[in-house]
Amino acid sequence: MSALRQIAFYGKGGIGKSTTSQNTLAAMAYYFDKNIMIVGCDPKADSTRLILHEKAQNTILQLAAEMGTVEDLELEDACKPGAGIFSPESPHGWINCTESGGPEPGVGCAGRGVITAINFLEEEGAYEAEGLDFVSYDVLGDVVCGGFAMPIREGKAQEIYIVMSGEMMAMYAANNISKGILKYANTGGVRLAGLICNARMTDREYDLAWALARELGTQMIHFVPRNNIVQHAELRRMTVVEYSPKSDQAQEYKELARKIIANDLKVIPTPLEMDDLESLLMEYGLEEEVLEDEIGKSAEA
Amino acid sequence: MFILGFHFPASFGNKVPDEKVVEKLEGAGVDFNSVNEIKMTSESHGVKETLSYTKKDTFMFKALVHYVKTAETDYMIYTNRYQISELSKRLDKDDETMALCKKFDSMAQFKITAA
Repeated sequence: MSALRQIAFYGKGGIGKSTTSQNTLAAMAYYFDKNIMIVGCDPKADSTRLILHEKAQNTILQLAAEMGTVEDLELEDACKPGAGIFSPESPHGWINCTESGGPEPGVGCAGRGVITAINFLEEEGAYEAEGLDFVSYDVLGDVVCGGFAMPIREGKAQEIYIVMSGEMMAMYAANNISKGILKYANTGGVRLAGLICNARMTDREYDLAWALARELGTQMIHFVPRNNIVQHAELRRMTVVEYSPKSDQAQEYKELARKIIANDLKVIPTPLEMDDLESLLMEYGLEEEVLEDEIGKSAEA
Repeated sequence: MFILGFHFPASFGNKVPDEKVVEKLEGAGVDFNSVNEIKMTSESHGVKETLSYTKKDTFMFKALVHYVKTAETDYMIYTNRYQISELSKRLDKDDETMALCKKFDSMAQFKITAA
């Protein structure tokens, strides 16, 4: 039996992280027979909906609140088997799903949900499920919150895939996440395993994504093109892999899945200083150079 | 690290020399002479274009024949296509191939077959 691999998908909010991660994990299970547990670490709890065919899974924090304490919670309540082709009865790999959840908006610490969930799953033996090949964390944002850094801080996730695009804020976030990985790389053993470009189909996006990857010391492991079939599948609360396994887009996720399974390039990242990142963005036309004496002047001035 | 679908061990880092990719391509067990013409169709915003490529002495041709012979689909994976173009720009020189590279760099979707 091969060793359990713990991977994580990080990325800026709204970048398509949950969609990319679920479609990729679906491909790993369906085409390559990998058994997976998803730990959703986003308070909006949308990391598993396409695997479960549900609107949103009951989160560990929600269930704990209903029961009184997390100690009253059973693993079966919080960890649900995937639907359809991802169920334990599937001839392919299976996927189990959990969501950490978070507090009401504006109240409390969202990262606490992540900490509580991981501790609960460990204590209940979820990581020891027979045949489990991968644990995948789907984590919000750019690790400015220590709670969201939990999977890397505590050495839970060993290999990090950053979902990004050729847009400026996605690049900033990817660089920030790399700073977070660097901070914990020596103590927890976490490594950056690659950038996944969830393309917005902007000019020179492939080149820009690769340029950032090179600067960070990693690879751009896959360029996922935009395709409406992803949204069509989402309307049915399905991954593309299940909705249309022979579609072109399913082939993209299959190839990404194959590469993640075989990937051995895991590095301590070399994040850019802000000036260097801005130079990179300027080089690829995402930012325009501004003369020093123009800063702070209105367009009419 | 993955180029044209080939896996290069982590010891290569994130900069694999072009000659190592060519080595993998030529050692992949594909008979490059078995194909005389590569046909492609591209589609972008509903506009379709049919392309033919026959320059057998180029890296581009070998890479495309390899793709046709080994891929499970006629759809060209974007990453592979961009990588073929990136390498071809360094390894090939002729205008026809450079024009194809330019088309490959677009956001259009490509289908590919051996004629």
